[in-house]
Amino acid sequence: MWITEYRDLIEILTISDLRIKYQSSVLGFAWSLVNPLFMMLILYVVFSNVFHVSENNFALYILTGITTFRFFSNGTSQGMTSIVLKPGLVNKVFIPRQILVFSSVLSNFISSLLEFCVLFILLIFFGVQLSFTALIFPPVHVMFFLIVYALSLGLSSLYVFYRDLNQIWEVFLQAAFFLSPIVYPITIIPEKYLQYYMLNPVTILMETFRDILIHGISPPPLWFLYLLGSGILLLIVCRFIFNRLERRFAEEV
Amino acid sequence: MSPDSTAQSHDVSILAEHLSKLFRIPHERKLTIYEHLVGVLRGSHQSYDEFLALDDVSFSVRRGETFGVIGPNGSGKSTLLKVLAGILYPDNGNSKVQGKIAAFIELGVGFQSDLTAKDNIFLYGAIMGLSKREIKDRYDEILNFSELKRFEHMRLKNFSSGMVVRLAFSTAIQTDPDVLLVDEVLAVGDEYFQKKCMEKINELRDNNKTIVFVSHSLDSVNKLCSRCLLLDKGKIVQIGETSDVIERYHQLTREHT
Repeated sequence: MWITEYRDLIEILTISDLRIKYQSSVLGFAWSLVNPLFMMLILYVVFSNVFHVSENNFALYILTGITTFRFFSNGTSQGMTSIVLKPGLVNKVFIPRQILVFSSVLSNFISSLLEFCVLFILLIFFGVQLSFTALIFPPVHVMFFLIVYALSLGLSSLYVFYRDLNQIWEVFLQAAFFLSPIVYPITIIPEKYLQYYMLNPVTILMETFRDILIHGISPPPLWFLYLLGSGILLLIVCRFIFNRLERRFAEEV
Repeated sequence: MSPDSTAQSHDVSILAEHLSKLFRIPHERKLTIYEHLVGVLRGSHQSYDEFLALDDVSFSVRRGETFGVIGPNGSGKSTLLKVLAGILYPDNGNSKVQGKIAAFIELGVGFQSDLTAKDNIFLYGAIMGLSKREIKDRYDEILNFSELKRFEHMRLKNFSSGMVVRLAFSTAIQTDPDVLLVDEVLAVGDEYFQKKCMEKINELRDNNKTIVFVSHSLDSVNKLCSRCLLLDKGKIVQIGETSDVIERYHQLTREHT
């Protein structure tokens, strides 16, 4: 299996990626953590007045949503370009190409873990009692990784042939931001649309993280199944696309 | 040498059977979904120029042999090397390479100018197939060979291009492959460094490694390779003793002009 065979390469590529990201400015590392906080502040000021929120910790509610969404959007959009931006590693040496996608998503996963650490600190600071349900966080985040990696596989291979896919994906992410419960409470969704609304795995992830971190309750077991199932299904479909298109990567990048 | 190892040295290291590679070069390159949509709406079909870069190429290389590939520009030499390395998939035929392959098609692939020489040695070493352990063990040797010890912690963007190449070659040569595919990359650095590179290649050859050597320099092909393959327009013109093949190449060049 390539993950074990190439684990050293994956590790070094991931670390190099993080180094470059955080080295580029003195505040590099701090910025990446401050950024979501500012975003939260702005959205909180704007939206807490729009919706008369019953949620107690609306600021934390928003921050959980943003932190979740950031991994989805950064992970997929950087995963998408991971093949095209490293042409040398595609057409001058042979390495399994999914390694490029995997290490890109992995470095975003690590960034995301750091952002969640900040979230944990803020949760405690604002007096939220972390309950034992927080222990469910790691496996859920791993399922999240699976979903983002699967999507990135499909996107990165399509992006080799369709170079405007990033524009389309950006618009899609904009829409997804507002189609997920980040800046509004889920209760504003009309009852009759709720079952469709809840089909979005990112929504399920956000609500799961809120349940286990803020509310200290265990989400419905069906959600875990749904996340795992959609992750595996996406992986099967996107791997198929990737393997089909991978044969011509070296000619096109 | 024991009879056993003599027998082994005659093992086939590379076997290529009926390799063909067709490149399609579209007249109008469509790289976006938008362009494809417009194309479909106009009802125009994508038209291609087809270009057979490799045409039914078969040969074998014995273990421990240094094998040259020569031919004019665009004859398919690099395509052949990329197919052997697994970078390109052939449209027809197949190739088998025994053991660990290292392809020197371009030196310093994956170098990051924002990282230090040290980080880049680890990065590039891993890309060339070394484990972390192996890179650590060979780290000093890499720096010594490149003569860049003083600049260990300097970022690559402050290196001169000659220094970058030295660092790349010194790292790459440590990959310790069974099969080495070299594409014209040795013509780098100053004369002194080139000599060092050649010595290193000779060392590998003496260690019974298989080397496929693509070059325009007939001189170095003549010096290094026992057997040689001449390609023209994707087809094999001749395989055999290097001196004979080079002779044939000269003849071919005269025919063309």
